[in-house]
Amino acid sequence: MKKFILAFVAAYIFLFLWGWLLNGVLLKDVYAETPNLWRSQSEMMSLFHWIIIGQALIVFAFVMIYASGFVGGGVMAGIRLGVLLEIAAIGMRMGFYAVQPFPGKLIVYGSVSGLIEMIILGAIVGAIYKPASARKP
Amino acid sequence: MNLKKFFTAFIAAFIFLFVFGFLWYGTLMRGAHEEVPALFRTKPDYPWLNLGHIVMAFFFTILCVRVIPAGGLGAGVTVGILVGLVYAGPHLLSFAVQPLTTKILCGWIVGAVIQFAIAGGLIGAIYKPGRG
Repeated sequence: MKKFILAFVAAYIFLFLWGWLLNGVLLKDVYAETPNLWRSQSEMMSLFHWIIIGQALIVFAFVMIYASGFVGGGVMAGIRLGVLLEIAAIGMRMGFYAVQPFPGKLIVYGSVSGLIEMIILGAIVGAIYKPASARKP
Repeated sequence: MNLKKFFTAFIAAFIFLFVFGFLWYGTLMRGAHEEVPALFRTKPDYPWLNLGHIVMAFFFTILCVRVIPAGGLGAGVTVGILVGLVYAGPHLLSFAVQPLTTKILCGWIVGAVIQFAIAGGLIGAIYKPGRG
């Protein structure tokens, strides 16, 4: 349980910082090209708690899946889980692109960064969440 | 890995994900989506929609087979619910940054969990490597 919580907290901190760096800084100009698709800055800030809850949900469910079938595999198993989940998510992103008028480059940037994000997230979880026997020398 | 069972499970998952998506998001939620027309295309881009579902179903099937190599309906549903929650998270993020309605947010989250729970159950029920 302790390792679960530790993995959750570490992965959450990474996801939060990555999300801020990517969406709040690096892709800011790309988002600015389609202002009609986004809330105003003040509206986003008033709904910021949903970002925190959403990211917590992603990390919680990720660690739960890791604990269900990947535990003991270490960093590589975490990365494998991250890659599988993200490639399936890229499929979902294609679906959103099919119905929402997002610019294509936003989907490409989102997918590439999503893959990097989930690889690092998986590595963090895999490195921290180990069964008791695997931690013994 | 039993390839025949795997591909049967993948095809079943793809058909289910596509049909459920059409019924839930395209039909039941159509009215909710029409409340914010600026956020949606007038007509879906079907090649991307089809490709997206194929990719999603294929990698979700691989994930299920990895997590529950022995298969099983209950285990598949459990994995599906967890995966549905992983994908429900981004819907909450979208709600915070896009002018989506609460109705759309709830519909998308409930839809994702139900969709992946049933798809996971289907995969778990079909992919039982030791039984032929």
